[in-house]
Amino acid sequence: MHQFEIKRLIPLELFGFDASFTNSALFMVIAASVITLFTMYAMRGRALVPSRLQSVAEISYEFIANMVRDNVGTAGMKYFPFVFTLFMFVLALNMLGMVPYSFTVTSHIIVTFALAAFIFLGVTLLGFIKHGAKFLKFFVPEGVPIVMLPLLVVIEVISYLTRPLSLSVRLFANMMAGHTMLKVFGAFVVALGLLGGWAPLAFMVAFTGLEILVAFLQAYVFAILTCIYLNDALHMHQH
Amino acid sequence: MAGAENKSGRKGSGRDAGSIRQRLDALGEELAGAQARHHKAPALAPQSQGAALGQALRLGIELVAGVAVGGFIGWALDRFFGTAPFLMVVFLGLGAAAGIMNVVRTAKRMQAAAPSGKDLPRVLDDDDD
Repeated sequence: MHQFEIKRLIPLELFGFDASFTNSALFMVIAASVITLFTMYAMRGRALVPSRLQSVAEISYEFIANMVRDNVGTAGMKYFPFVFTLFMFVLALNMLGMVPYSFTVTSHIIVTFALAAFIFLGVTLLGFIKHGAKFLKFFVPEGVPIVMLPLLVVIEVISYLTRPLSLSVRLFANMMAGHTMLKVFGAFVVALGLLGGWAPLAFMVAFTGLEILVAFLQAYVFAILTCIYLNDALHMHQH
Repeated sequence: MAGAENKSGRKGSGRDAGSIRQRLDALGEELAGAQARHHKAPALAPQSQGAALGQALRLGIELVAGVAVGGFIGWALDRFFGTAPFLMVVFLGLGAAAGIMNVVRTAKRMQAAAPSGKDLPRVLDDDDD
């Protein structure tokens, strides 16, 4: 579909790779600048009694800070900047995608997979740095007969390896399916409007609202799963 | 509530309906106070329905991801060892097991995180006497 097409804005080739500046890259830059400008502009007053805009910035800070504290504990606050950046970036990309004629970066699996793979590698490295070889114990379930261990360890490893896939597919599938459904249903609004009056349009408005909720929710889920994975790496909680 | 009613009915010294109703009201107030103390924020936000939708989708994807990753590992090993299609079959099964394990774990985590007491009434004393 037209809205998912990648267009080269500035063609560029580096070492034989196509590194063009695309509309996808443009929207990532827009998202990053929107977040930076918003937080800096909102916090410019540094008022003790916050203005409305400052409240929004403070609420998003506290929202993520509480999420990290609840899921990873106080030791995890070291990684708060990472989780906050991740959440705001995904949220901004999802929300920018809701603007008509814009491009939804997160509806491309390669983008979400790159994000998820980066988190996965980082968290795994962190686990090995914090615990050394003991981190391998994470894959050995407790209280299991020796005979069953080889099978269960393989299953545990596969289950660990599904993390980047499920993390990336969840975000990508939700965003792409939502936008596709909006497009498909939207195409019927005029035709069905002849029969049903304003009802199809009202349905579309409600559906757009749901999509905005999904856009927020998926950013939230992405961030909270990052927290859970971080917690596993830091504290090696047996499930 | 049924337990409270029984108790007040059994131990009640006052026979008349008025005094029983009074005691029942008093007990109800006490119970409401105790419940408020036990969980401070029982009010479910309207977005919890959206959250439930998100959770349902999460479980589905978790299940499929296990099979997909298992299948991919098996396929890659088959290519490496030239044993097609045996390892892929084995790893598809292992992947399905891993997917189911992930779903169970995710569901357990959701259950632990879910606020208790709104869907089902908390029964403090449920012995049938």
